[in-house]
Amino acid sequence: MKDLKYLLYFENLLQNANNELIEQAKAEGNICAAFTCENLPEPLMNLGNAFSVRLFAPNSGSVDIATYYMTNLLCETSRALLERAIEGGFNFADCLIAADGCTMMNRAAENMELLHTMDEGKKKFFYEFMEIPLKADENGVELLVLQCKNHILKPLKEKYGIDVSDEAILKAVEEHNHVCRLIRELSEFRKEEDPRITGYEFAVLTLATYVCPKHLLIDKLEETVEEVRNREPDGKKWRARVMVVGSEVDDVAFIKLIEDCGTYVCADRFCFGSFPGRMPIEIDENSDEDILTQVCRHYVYWGMCPRMMNMEKVYGRKKYVNDIAKEYNADGIIYEQVKFCDPWAYERMLGSHMLREDYGFPVLSVDRPYNIASAAGQMRTRVQAFVESIEIKKLQGGAK
Amino acid sequence: MAFKRMKTIKNPRKRKGEQTLGQLYPTNGKSKVLKRREWRGVKDTLYDYYRWLYIMSILARFISKPRNIKAMFRYRWMANYLAVPHMMDKFTLGLRDEALRITHTAMNFVIYDVAKTMDNIFRGDRRTGNDEEYSRHCVLTDENAMTAFMMGFDETKAILREVPTMFVANLLTQYSTTHYLDVAQEFGLPGDVCPMPEAEAGISIDDDFAVLGCCAVQVNTTCDGSLMGNGVIAHRLEKEYGIPTFQLAAPMRHREDDVQKYAAEDIKAAIKFVEEHAGEKWNWTRYFECAKRVNDATRKRLEWLDVNSTYYPQFVGSVFSLYNDTNYMGNCGRSPEFPPIDKKLLKLVHKGYQRKSMMAPEYRHRCIIWGVQPQYNIHMLYWMMHCWGVVPLTDMLSMVNTRMIAEEDTPENREQAYYDMAWLNENMIMRNRTHGGYKVLVDELWDFCEMMNADMVMMWEHMSCKALDGMHGMFEEQGRERGIHVVWVCHDLCDPRVYTRQAIRDEFSQYMRTVMREEPLDPTIEHIPDENMW
Repeated sequence: MKDLKYLLYFENLLQNANNELIEQAKAEGNICAAFTCENLPEPLMNLGNAFSVRLFAPNSGSVDIATYYMTNLLCETSRALLERAIEGGFNFADCLIAADGCTMMNRAAENMELLHTMDEGKKKFFYEFMEIPLKADENGVELLVLQCKNHILKPLKEKYGIDVSDEAILKAVEEHNHVCRLIRELSEFRKEEDPRITGYEFAVLTLATYVCPKHLLIDKLEETVEEVRNREPDGKKWRARVMVVGSEVDDVAFIKLIEDCGTYVCADRFCFGSFPGRMPIEIDENSDEDILTQVCRHYVYWGMCPRMMNMEKVYGRKKYVNDIAKEYNADGIIYEQVKFCDPWAYERMLGSHMLREDYGFPVLSVDRPYNIASAAGQMRTRVQAFVESIEIKKLQGGAK
Repeated sequence: MAFKRMKTIKNPRKRKGEQTLGQLYPTNGKSKVLKRREWRGVKDTLYDYYRWLYIMSILARFISKPRNIKAMFRYRWMANYLAVPHMMDKFTLGLRDEALRITHTAMNFVIYDVAKTMDNIFRGDRRTGNDEEYSRHCVLTDENAMTAFMMGFDETKAILREVPTMFVANLLTQYSTTHYLDVAQEFGLPGDVCPMPEAEAGISIDDDFAVLGCCAVQVNTTCDGSLMGNGVIAHRLEKEYGIPTFQLAAPMRHREDDVQKYAAEDIKAAIKFVEEHAGEKWNWTRYFECAKRVNDATRKRLEWLDVNSTYYPQFVGSVFSLYNDTNYMGNCGRSPEFPPIDKKLLKLVHKGYQRKSMMAPEYRHRCIIWGVQPQYNIHMLYWMMHCWGVVPLTDMLSMVNTRMIAEEDTPENREQAYYDMAWLNENMIMRNRTHGGYKVLVDELWDFCEMMNADMVMMWEHMSCKALDGMHGMFEEQGRERGIHVVWVCHDLCDPRVYTRQAIRDEFSQYMRTVMREEPLDPTIEHIPDENMW
């Protein structure tokens, strides 16, 4: 297929945490709200002249200093983020809003605060730590509303004078939904038998929507959607279609590696992926309920974080994977986990068994480093073997 | 900043009995137990022997019931209970006078309590006792769960089935969990998660838990691993045994005001769930009776800690921790049998303090034990005292709630009670430090060092405990700034294959020799051939 016009542009945005769009937004006097957890309602950090940036650490190499602070037993994502913060790679941020969600990411953010990694010389800088509901219920919605008021809206208003009214939230939700719809439309093309967008391209575009100011990204994203609509598929024969489920994939080379093995990544279900992170937030403006509560309800009920512990959610997450896999015609599922990530370690174990035994999918269960380059050979071998096993099953006509 | 140095306190009294403890250990490297009983002088040896007989009587009473014999053959982990007397020997090694009596009083009661729990478990267990009527009145709870939400139930019993199956079993014999860890890993769980919830998941996968109860209440206890392991266990309970489960949410940022309502509401939901499944209504009179006992236990714990802040600590070490765990969490005021034991312990503590009783020939350092202890080597705290003269004043797991809860039955207090139960639930042992931000884990440690006049922190670095490891650098830096020795001792909680007992002791000894430039008080126990012992 012909390369997407802006693919290189989007790829370049992912080469550095402090990308050119962040620099542009900052130069225009906007306030950067950095965050670390997918459970935080993103639109609330995009109010007025604030824009949200999800912290990530592309091209991570050595994480030695972070390893001193957090030992080599913590997940590499948390260490890579801390290392980047210590190096000054997140100095563009005007605040850090962290969630006490998974323990390791919380500790990374706490170390950032204690080491004053981002706040040197910034009088208005603030660190906030939020409690995230552990269950999907109305009690959880109430908690998230209160947490958002106290740890996002209040400090943004008090420190930076951001408008946090219902109108401002509604406007931010509309912008958020617009981005989500664009991603969703791109996602639909992945269902095609001869898809006109690769899983890698989709991953690049999706990740960019988390780590760049959205308002500066929309025009190129719209153009790209239009381009894909009219794109001619190249008729490539993929050996299999897989869905990737698990920890955040900040290194899109992982998706490329899978596709280089001849396997099409037709769907994604990981932290900061498109499911459920890029599902539009449904707002009923005629409802008696305020906009904030409606936004929080979306995050509580749509959230698929493995730390959501009520059994409806535990079973629901596997069913959700099954439903998407079926909708996107996946032949198999890759459950992946960043090494040392506890929540996904357990989710991967139970999920891989349930998807195999209860839903009949072939499943590859793997752990991986934050930066796939350090284990590319091993991962390639695992994926190749998995694809071969799917192919053999197809040839033999056995159970899926 | 110069490092703190406490004055060495010499024991003026001559120590009766054995002077060197190393001679009690078998040299063949194969034996599971000590070579012989310790000679502690006539009076203390007789006392120790009498308590040994008492333990044997508990075991005999337990095993005399057919259902418990049946369980012995059904459940793999039951074999560990042959080592109960040996566990007491580990905890009492080298102790005399009040310390010996305190340890026996506390730990013997824990043994009695665990035996009772096991007896109850097998009474209701579908595979052994199968008393269906009894089982209908049982609620399964987690090993690390605060049982506060059961304080208002008369007939319905909280069954902490993971306590005897995993937690205590690993105190008894060091290799008790390895089989279950292997099972969990064969099932697909990585080997780098905390081995405690991993072993519990392994037991469930291996179908080696007793099966009973009308329902189960699980809590996100100490870590992400504990939280996530619940899903694996609940899956089997619900799908295979038809036991409905409820997940009780305890907020992470438990010191914040804006999470308390969330926690209290979930306590209400948990109580409602139990009421529905057990068919019993919540009884406020009983709740407030229990609340009084919770406060009483809190007061006693604070008094013991007060004494430990002096030059003559009395109730210390792993038994201090284990007794507090049992009383604070497993019991949580529900049993009237604990207060008399608390009282007896306090009397012994006061007596020991007045007599200036010491547990070693000299005390060189006052040490706070922080982090999570290796379950299979928890008795090392006594070894530190006997080998190096380092007194373990208290440990992280014992530094729990100090707040008094409402204990009078009034309409306002009934609403407050939900908040109190939630507060207790949030402040379960360990989780009250591993969650809640760095202030409760790091900052408060230095406050305790100040309060208890400690010059040393022995930092258990449980290698799979992400919450603690995540603050490693901060402990190092802040300890140095405050002039407090931070001795890192690594372990893997309940998997001695990763870190042996001797490897753990070596890390401590290395620090004492190279940094402190000290020689052991009792060199015969610097190296102990206990790799194959229970």
